[in-house]
Amino acid sequence: MLAYTFKRILQGIITVWFIATVTFIAMHAVPGDPLANERATTEQIRLNLEQRYGLDRPVSEQYLVFIGGILRGDFGISFTQENRRVNDIIRENFPVSATLGILAVTFAALGGILMGALTALFRNRLPDFVIMFLVILGISVPSFVVAALSQLVLVDINASLGFSLLPVAGWGTLRHMIVPSMVLGLGTMAYLTRLMRSSMLEITSSDFIRTARAKGLPPARIFLKHQLRNAILPVVTVLGPAIAAITTGGFVVELVFAIPGLGRYFVEAVQQLDYTVIMGTTVFYGAFLVSMVIVVDLLYGWIDPRVRLE
Amino acid sequence: MSETPRFSAADFEAAAVDRQLQAVSRPSLSYWQDSWRRLKQNRRAFASLGMLVALGVLTLAGPFVWRLDPAAQDVNQISQAPSFPPSALIVDPYTAWSGVTAEPTRMGDVVTGLHLAEAATTQAVRLAWEPVVGAAGYVVYRSVYDQAPDRALGLPVGEVVGADRVSFEDRLDLEPRRYWYAVVVMDENRAEVENYAALVVDAVRTVSVEEAGLRGWVQDVSTLTPGDRIGLPYHPLGTDYLGRDMLARLLYGARVSLFIGVVAPLLFVLAGVVYGSAAGFMGGRVDQVLMRFADFVIALPFLLFMILFKVTFGIGPGESGVFPMLVALVLLGWPSTARLVRGQILQIRQEGYVSASQLLGARTGYLVFRHMIPQTMGVILVTLTFAVPSAIFTEAFLSFIGMGVAPPTPSWGSMANEGIRTMLSHPHELLFPAVIISVTVLAFNLLGDGLRDALDVRMRGSE
Amino acid sequence: MTSAKRATDDDAVLDVTDLHVEFDTHGGVVKAVRGASFSVGSGKTLAIVGESGCGKSVSVQSIMGLVPMPPGRITSGVARFDGVDIIRQKIVNGEDVRGNRIGMIFQDPMSALNPTMRVGDQIAETLQVHRGLSKREAFARAVEVLAMTHIPEAEARAKQYPFAFSGGMLQRAMVAMAIACEPDVLIADEPTTALDVTIQAQILNLLEELQSKTGMAIVLITHDLAVVARMADSVSVMYAGEIVESGSVDDVFYRSAHPYTLGLKAAMPRHTTSRATGLQPIEGAPPDLFHPPAGCGYFARCPRAMRLCESQGPVRFEVGHEHHAMCWLHHPDAPRGADDLHRGAPE
Repeated sequence: MLAYTFKRILQGIITVWFIATVTFIAMHAVPGDPLANERATTEQIRLNLEQRYGLDRPVSEQYLVFIGGILRGDFGISFTQENRRVNDIIRENFPVSATLGILAVTFAALGGILMGALTALFRNRLPDFVIMFLVILGISVPSFVVAALSQLVLVDINASLGFSLLPVAGWGTLRHMIVPSMVLGLGTMAYLTRLMRSSMLEITSSDFIRTARAKGLPPARIFLKHQLRNAILPVVTVLGPAIAAITTGGFVVELVFAIPGLGRYFVEAVQQLDYTVIMGTTVFYGAFLVSMVIVVDLLYGWIDPRVRLE
Repeated sequence: MSETPRFSAADFEAAAVDRQLQAVSRPSLSYWQDSWRRLKQNRRAFASLGMLVALGVLTLAGPFVWRLDPAAQDVNQISQAPSFPPSALIVDPYTAWSGVTAEPTRMGDVVTGLHLAEAATTQAVRLAWEPVVGAAGYVVYRSVYDQAPDRALGLPVGEVVGADRVSFEDRLDLEPRRYWYAVVVMDENRAEVENYAALVVDAVRTVSVEEAGLRGWVQDVSTLTPGDRIGLPYHPLGTDYLGRDMLARLLYGARVSLFIGVVAPLLFVLAGVVYGSAAGFMGGRVDQVLMRFADFVIALPFLLFMILFKVTFGIGPGESGVFPMLVALVLLGWPSTARLVRGQILQIRQEGYVSASQLLGARTGYLVFRHMIPQTMGVILVTLTFAVPSAIFTEAFLSFIGMGVAPPTPSWGSMANEGIRTMLSHPHELLFPAVIISVTVLAFNLLGDGLRDALDVRMRGSE
Repeated sequence: MTSAKRATDDDAVLDVTDLHVEFDTHGGVVKAVRGASFSVGSGKTLAIVGESGCGKSVSVQSIMGLVPMPPGRITSGVARFDGVDIIRQKIVNGEDVRGNRIGMIFQDPMSALNPTMRVGDQIAETLQVHRGLSKREAFARAVEVLAMTHIPEAEARAKQYPFAFSGGMLQRAMVAMAIACEPDVLIADEPTTALDVTIQAQILNLLEELQSKTGMAIVLITHDLAVVARMADSVSVMYAGEIVESGSVDDVFYRSAHPYTLGLKAAMPRHTTSRATGLQPIEGAPPDLFHPPAGCGYFARCPRAMRLCESQGPVRFEVGHEHHAMCWLHHPDAPRGADDLHRGAPE
């Protein structure tokens, strides 16, 4: 198990390096001058700026500086806000996005597993149909529409109640977090429900469930220890990519609900072509995702004993 | 104890030698025929297939049938909700109104007899009422909602000074819609009282002959006389906040969204198939290296790189932004298909029938085309069918955050983005693109489900 | 010789009478079991033998409540165990029978065990549920039972997961699971089919040993006549959902009374089989059970078929002491050819 962990971490590091390199190449392939839209009026100011950002050095040197900076954990200075370090930007805004993302993933995972198990339990009866209908809606309606609609509904609810049941936008308290994380997790929850459902159905007709029945075990025990435990495996496998999907979906939710997270910052940075922020955020997010995937893989190894001996 | 039944002697004769071995009851079907049959039986999937075909036809043929320019702005019908064909009544050009005066005789704090002096049109709304003694004047409010529930009187459109001036003409930005007017009495101190008189007015669209010509609604104005009705450009699904026809935008947007949504997956699935089959076939070190590289690409945070590519390749003004998005989708999408195909190939290679075929002397090419490709086709088809809605979503998503196609090129995502802003007042602007995205994605998902079930080899032969 | 209704055997531990099982499918109703009757006595082994698809697995699985009911259905039949009809008794309540007094092992041990649970725990489960033992006690007992199946290092093995076991060892583990609660009957559904011959022998030895120790009855489902010859006390030959011949193993093998049994015997390769003699398969295929034939199910393949056989389903004839066959050739008026079909004493 230990060797497996080391191997995955090593792979992860190489992956992050790969991400950083590709990001660097992409940014330097952008046509045009990064300082073109700056307030660099005089030649002297321009030269100063160039020097400050290291743009007067050859590209290969810039690359090494970049990688060196990453290794030290330093992403440089923002292009558009010269007094702010990218690190600070990330440090201030990332926890918000992370909280949102983790809440959403938890909601999606728990909800998906629960609902998937329910549909298998009540197969072809009313709960099954209701849940599957909601699931189909969930995977078909785009997240930004859900976000906007939920705000609309919330406004209505608040108005008719006379007080604000849940805040419509903003961030800060637990109550602020509920709706955005639910909206964010909805699509993934629908997907996980389907996955869990088909996994449960497949397990139910498998040989070892037949053996469990032949042993005369009570249905509850069969459901929990035999069906659920095995059916969860594919769902856990998918959690890694699901986290990635939720993280990216977070941008939209942050925009719609006016949540001060890193995603919103990133979109703004792209619109303003703030190169250091873009690069720094990309590498940071990449590292974050890679580590999440590793965590999930290790979790899977803990659940499924077959993987451990690899 | 039952009796042994008795039979005739003939019954014990030997049965005919060439009796028929029981005929095979069902005709033999090929894999594809069987799959198609099962797909047809799945009503939801088949309906989805039909719907998508219809959508395809609509997308290709639609803009030729409905010939409105999606970028053309009809400033007369901004944010118009879907409705029946609008028309306008030709009237004489505007002439000033002298108004009405009357001596107040009654006491009270609210006017009575609030009514329309003439039929309300978009040229002018002329109100008149009975005066009240002691009023210093009257204030007229106009609202686009019913004032009653909240007592929100709306916009003050005018003030009349003098108790005996009992009329008001409203000419402010009149639109052909329902208005709620309220008249409030001002007491001696020029303060408004609580009470108000209300009137519901439906303004009818009218234009003068000259205006009709100026606005381009009629080619030859000489044929017009007051009293005629002319038709306005019809927008069956309404217009957006810039007055552009929703239906035309949806049709053109379909082209953009579906183009990206179908072409990108086709390309990256193709790339993935080639890459994955190569890896699966060659095996060994080559396979390892190829897959390692694919894993790295998968690990790239998708959205971030989509945006990066967009920034890198597509800043030019005047471009539609479709091409960079396509490139980005393809570059980032191929690895998962590659893994899938490779896995399939590896699995198939171990199957018994492949070895059997080889023993019978089959060459590699034959094996590939006759055995492996058909086996993988199922997986590939299903992947494709699920990749399309994913691509449509991504495109919609990117357009939504402004990283997609550039205006004025419509796409369903950008339309949804624009629609969000007027969600509360003009929901149709958001509703139509959102619904059509959802329905299309739903159809692809259902079709994908159905295909997966239909092509599942294990279910083959089951009724 | 009269057609006789088989009297219920009162010594039988498990006695199944006139079992009918059908399945609803999209193509119609499949009559998988069409009136099967069999029984096994305490301490004895009954083998149910037949080719794939004849309904032998469905028969035992249905009485154990392991066939999903829809789409399956038991339309008639009685399965008497310890005086109680375990079919009528709701399957849910069959829990004190299943796993407890009737144990069952299956064909493919690799897929028949929960991959995410330790083997010892899976054995211990039955003890916890049926005997009320604590987790620790149950596990200890499970190790003992596992040792009884001659798995070396039982304690270490019990803590492992199924993927660490070989096929033969897994089958032993399954046997341990099935006998942990000391059942009266062990049903073995093709236990050796997925194993190679040497392992087969070991498993069969194990079953015999356990049987002599505990006195449990064994119902052995198989398509392999060699296994039957070796293990069984009595045999029921099944074809197209019906028991076409039943009796003691000697009777059925040496005094075969049904053309199908004869065909099976002839089809078995022997040490005298050579390229010259060739193999003797039974031509044709089993009937389509969507539309079961009106007459004898074996009619299309039977070399001795009579006109009568096409339209009339044969009844059970008694051809010896507790030896029955469903074939019109045993009708008193049927012609007696010089063939190797055992006819029994003439009336």
